[in-house]
Amino acid sequence: MQALSNIYWLGVKELRSFLRDYVLLGLVFYAFSLAVTAQSQSVSQEVRNASIAIVDEDRSALSRQIASGFLPPYFNKPQYIEERDIDRLMNLGRFTFVIDIPPYFERDVRAGRTPTLQLLVDATAMVQAGLGSGYASQIVNDEIDRFISRSEPVPKLPVNLAIRVAFNPNVTTGWFTSVMGIINNITMLAIILAGAAVVREREHGTMDHLLVMPLTPFEIALAKVWANGLIIAVAAGLSLEFVVQGLLRIPINGSVPLFMLGVCLYLFFATSIGIFLATVARTMPQLGLLYMLVAMPMNILSGSNTPLDSQPAWLRTVMQVSPSTHFVSFAQAILYRGAGFYEVWPRFLAVALIASLFLALAVLRFRRVTEQAT
Amino acid sequence: MLITGTPAQIVASRGATDLEDAFIRYLKEAEAARGAAPKAAEEAFGAPMQTAGPAAGEEASPIFSFRRLFAYSIREALELRRDPIRLAFAVIGTTFLMLIFGFGITTDVDNLSWRVLDRDNSPESRAFLAELRGSPYFTEKAPLKDAEEQRRALKDGSVNATIEIPPGFGRGLKAGRRPEIGAWVDGAMPFRAATMRDYLTGVYQSYLRDPVLNIAPQEKRRAHVEVRFRYNQSFDSIYAQVPGTMALELALIPAILMALAVVREKELGTITNLYVTPVTRLEFLAGKQLPYIALAFWNFLLMALMAWLVFRVPMKGSFLMLAAGALVFVSATTGYGMFISSFTRTQIAALFGTAILTVLPATQFSGMMVPVSSLRGFPAFMGHIFPMTYFVPICVGTYTKGLGFADLIGRLGWLSLFVPALLLLSLLFLRKQER
Repeated sequence: MQALSNIYWLGVKELRSFLRDYVLLGLVFYAFSLAVTAQSQSVSQEVRNASIAIVDEDRSALSRQIASGFLPPYFNKPQYIEERDIDRLMNLGRFTFVIDIPPYFERDVRAGRTPTLQLLVDATAMVQAGLGSGYASQIVNDEIDRFISRSEPVPKLPVNLAIRVAFNPNVTTGWFTSVMGIINNITMLAIILAGAAVVREREHGTMDHLLVMPLTPFEIALAKVWANGLIIAVAAGLSLEFVVQGLLRIPINGSVPLFMLGVCLYLFFATSIGIFLATVARTMPQLGLLYMLVAMPMNILSGSNTPLDSQPAWLRTVMQVSPSTHFVSFAQAILYRGAGFYEVWPRFLAVALIASLFLALAVLRFRRVTEQAT
Repeated sequence: MLITGTPAQIVASRGATDLEDAFIRYLKEAEAARGAAPKAAEEAFGAPMQTAGPAAGEEASPIFSFRRLFAYSIREALELRRDPIRLAFAVIGTTFLMLIFGFGITTDVDNLSWRVLDRDNSPESRAFLAELRGSPYFTEKAPLKDAEEQRRALKDGSVNATIEIPPGFGRGLKAGRRPEIGAWVDGAMPFRAATMRDYLTGVYQSYLRDPVLNIAPQEKRRAHVEVRFRYNQSFDSIYAQVPGTMALELALIPAILMALAVVREKELGTITNLYVTPVTRLEFLAGKQLPYIALAFWNFLLMALMAWLVFRVPMKGSFLMLAAGALVFVSATTGYGMFISSFTRTQIAALFGTAILTVLPATQFSGMMVPVSSLRGFPAFMGHIFPMTYFVPICVGTYTKGLGFADLIGRLGWLSLFVPALLLLSLLFLRKQER
């Protein structure tokens, strides 16, 4: 009972010191509001406003019709450039796509000579180049068909393939990046807040104050876990409710309470890893470096940015040990695909198991380190 | 406190006869050291401590002195050198992160799994599935039993796509009723969904040529569209990702180390040295910045070596250009950390602030994932005021586009503007006197 009360009051102390650091408070606010809004405007996963230029050596009605096929929001209005400028402009990254229409193109098309038209793609802009080259070829072919066969009917195909995109029919990026932004914030903030809370006490020497009081290292560690976890859970919940659903009007398919339950489970892991790292680091700069070594890969490789399935097999196996992978996986299942408890419980279990392991490890190391200090 | 250890150790360490003797020796050493300390400080700060004001003269100007600046550089370099953990992390960390990101951040879409619900099982439906099985991007998983299982498989994310072929598909096809194959792709990750749609359309188009369908050969195409992927013919994302990773790490690590180096002094109180000694804010900041620029540049060389040896990404353009760009870039990113440090008071805020204010613009708005020319509004604004936006073209340009000085000098020019601008901003916010 006494222990519970100690853990509670130590946590309250933790909350007070957090609330008094206004710059930190402002940064957390920024991370969960403005930064999420900015991410929702990202177009990194679709072809949007792609820059395109046309070298028109034909100057015919057909070449103008092709140019008119490139429309916003997928493509910017095509710019006309000269052939000799292609290399320079593509080198500078001014245009991702350049279409080169050769001389006598329209005449050759009409004569059925099947002329060749070049589509140059800047392949260093991976996602846009990959998807956009398909769209651009399609647009060119469609425009030629439309131009030539205004009168002829389009032959009907005997079979049809209907491809539907489940859960996100318009394939918009903001839907993905805004929620994943919150997810990444949770990992980042949990590790930094909990870790820094420990390192700060060590650097300032107030850890010694705590240790000479009738408190156990277990109580001190657990207080830091719940207090910092609470701050992040509240911030994430508010952000999902007011920023994502309220301000951005991004639809959430699944149950937010179920997701928040998962967040709380995950926070146990993330804050304990912060405390664990803080027992390894002696100073804040060391913690900062450790944070990058541990948290950056956990975030970037968890599947919240790029697909997990395309990683090399060994890396995919390693990432299964990281709860962040399971966290992202069940977050996507719940929030995007509307999955219920039945579909996600194995992921919950994995997070809970790894989390309790890490919490035990963190408390154990924390005790060892603090005992050394006295 | 003079010394800690067991009595035997203490005695042994000074070669004394007993404990008392050992302590006397220690006291004498400490006395000598104390006498030396002010002298060392005088030398370091260039102005004698007893005399006040500029009367002390010599070459130490009250506004700017290289000696005071370098004193801070030496002090910071010593702190780094005597913190082997930090130094090791800074070096090993770079290597480790480069390995992980180089292999792990990939925009290739493959290893896609699919399951089928074939209610027809006719030669026509099997021909379509055979076509799909032949695709290098897809791997098949066990067939589905019913619509409920199909719904669930998509929901829990165990499969990327499901195919449904309606009953009577084959017969309907022969009778000219234009039956429809249904495909669902998981839209949770947008660009993957869009790419899967392209792949499936490709599979469908080659299915149309399948002899089982017995369609008259497609009308001849009216024109060929020849797609040429420039700079990266194999369209392998590693050639774009490795240079991008280099830029990302050089943006993040130096900024965090620099921000903490300054805020640390504020939080631990050693900033008093700035308040009470003749050192100016410019000397203080620039002096502290130099060792971190050196460390970051060393990291850059290490990563360039890895790009060459581990990832086998060839350097097609001018390495000198890249190195020059990297030097200016790390000066800018340490400046970015310095700027954040100037308005934060605690190390937590500095650490979190640098992380959050770097990772987002670096990964989303600097041209690493999406061309800057496609950004609009706030993201575009963030991209333009972030130094990495000007370094990514240098990095990608020299590595994969084979560019040199002449092509990239403009970018380098813009990039170099960040260095004095960030230093100036930091000066504005840093106080010479505590409030």
